[in-house]
Amino acid sequence: MKPVAFDYERPQDIAGALALAGRADVAVKFLAGGQSLGPMLNLRLAQPDLLVDLTGIAELKQVGETTDALEIGACITHADIEDGRVPDVTNGALAAVAHGIAYRAVRNRGTIGGSLAHADPAADWVTFLAAIGAGVVIRGSGGRRVVPVEEFMTGVFETVLAPNDLVTAIRIPRFSADARWGYYKACRKTGEFAYASAAVLHDPTRSVNRAVIGAVEARPIVLADAGELFGRRTGADIAASFVPQVAMRAMDTAGFKNPIEQKVHAVALRRAVEQACAR
Amino acid sequence: MTPLRLTVNGEHIAEPVEPRTHLADFLRDSLNLTATHLRCEQGVCGACTILVDGEPVRSCITYAVQYENAEIMTLEGLEHDPVMAALRRAFSAEHALQCGYCTPGMLVTSRDIVLRLPDADEARVRVELSGNLCRCTGYEGIVRAVGRVLAERRAGTLAVSAPQPRRIGPIGSRRAVATASPVPSAPAADRAASGRPAEAETELGLGGRQPNFEIRRSFVAARPPDEVWAFFGQIERVVPCLPGAALVGPADGERIQGRMTVKLGPITTDFSGEARLARDETQRRGTISGAGRDRLSGSRAAADVDYHLVPAEGGMTRVDIVVRALLAGALAQFGRSGIVDDLATRLTDMFAQNLERSLSGPTPEHGAAAPAPFKAGAMLRAVFAARLRSVINRIVGRPHE
Repeated sequence: MKPVAFDYERPQDIAGALALAGRADVAVKFLAGGQSLGPMLNLRLAQPDLLVDLTGIAELKQVGETTDALEIGACITHADIEDGRVPDVTNGALAAVAHGIAYRAVRNRGTIGGSLAHADPAADWVTFLAAIGAGVVIRGSGGRRVVPVEEFMTGVFETVLAPNDLVTAIRIPRFSADARWGYYKACRKTGEFAYASAAVLHDPTRSVNRAVIGAVEARPIVLADAGELFGRRTGADIAASFVPQVAMRAMDTAGFKNPIEQKVHAVALRRAVEQACAR
Repeated sequence: MTPLRLTVNGEHIAEPVEPRTHLADFLRDSLNLTATHLRCEQGVCGACTILVDGEPVRSCITYAVQYENAEIMTLEGLEHDPVMAALRRAFSAEHALQCGYCTPGMLVTSRDIVLRLPDADEARVRVELSGNLCRCTGYEGIVRAVGRVLAERRAGTLAVSAPQPRRIGPIGSRRAVATASPVPSAPAADRAASGRPAEAETELGLGGRQPNFEIRRSFVAARPPDEVWAFFGQIERVVPCLPGAALVGPADGERIQGRMTVKLGPITTDFSGEARLARDETQRRGTISGAGRDRLSGSRAAADVDYHLVPAEGGMTRVDIVVRALLAGALAQFGRSGIVDDLATRLTDMFAQNLERSLSGPTPEHGAAAPAPFKAGAMLRAVFAARLRSVINRIVGRPHE
């Protein structure tokens, strides 16, 4: 199994990467850790003319910290987050989610920015980062902009990125000390892509109460105000007030209508809420 | 060819490689290091797991050119590694291999567990080994062998050196340095033209084979059955209702030739094929049996599309459609079958919707215009569902899937 022949470039900086992506004569694809694109190339499902390897760009492997957020460079790996080589501003949430992604050998290469840009609806970051209100920092011909994760993915494998836009970092909001979070995914086998997933963040100090239903073969379904999901209660026992009908209605509205899949996803959400309460 | 310098098992290597050569092929074919095994070549099975900068990675889904200046270690280089020696003894004692195909990857992953997670219990060992598949299903012995070496480590009888400080970012990646640009090769269009020609499939439709998709849809057309029956007889009006599809040349009696292009993120397909039409006037039933091949990925598809017309209230016609399809090759092998299922369902929904619109509209336009590729991923399910709702509301008979 061999991919089609392609050219390969490893630029030193973001400007170099954007210049290569701007070439109109060839089909260009950015490559980060390559853990999703590699299989597609090997199966010849993706056939670019030029791969632009982003992993040589030092700026994409940096972390920046402010009082209310952490900016994780796009080429930082799941294993970096799992092992704590990135500061923790989420009460351990990012490390726990990173630990559950695929397998260690994959996490050693796979990157947070690459995973988002690939936009597989069943991937972990797409769902969890939407739940915590993270932002995608993008550089392109139009300068620098930040897009909320929930608006970044537009469909299966599709995002708001223009052909010469590059994800440079992910902005993670800092949780309050009493924030509670939960993330549950249903997989047939450990490490596989989920067939249902859900995430919840309950951070009363910051007045954040969000829930997300993921792995819906489309953009994740976001409940930006999840209060109704718990009958407007707050605190450590919100799981007891969980109203699955609210989740069902959100799925209906999003066009995710298969009744069996709706139930499976509602159970995933309930388990995420239970996790949040147990923390 | 791109020049490449890296270290393999402590030896400096400088050798030009084609960018598309994955790391495992480079090790096996150029350096003759065949202890690294290849099986799925899509990152699922773990047989090719090796060490880069001391950490396990899949060598089949990354390319050798990505590892400029990295330190690669294969089983050949780990012969005198004390942890690997202990693992070999434990694998032997616990009968942790039968055919041995998965063993190189199992050993590399096991070494990582012993070094990184000295306190791992059996459950944790199983989770950590879940990315390595044993086709003999001999997991019991493998888990025991890892447990045995972990116990040696905890008992202090196994000497382990302190871990190296680790660079942040993808393992094996270094800071890029300026290089002269290689000569750009031909763009995709030229390359595609020199690729494998589309070949006609001899067998049209499923024949006796089992489909891997079966999707049923019904809608009511605001036209009498005679008119709807006549419409389905004009294949040049039916084919454009399928998103991304077009006829190639005029219909020739009962046989047609067509093409279908679908884009899904980085995936583009360009199917060419042939179909046979069969119609039963008395039953008002028909079947379109087709087969095609994707010029780009080499995937093959075969499908039967059945339609059945039933008189409905007010002189209208209910149209029942059953699509049964069989997909083989890369598209079917690709580990995200849910996405392909979902795509097939959406294509059928849009086919039904377009048929309904063509049948109920004033005079449906048709022509031999080139098809626009169907951009599948760009369509949000919510948007699509809203548009489809009006169709669904008019449906009679059995509920939708």
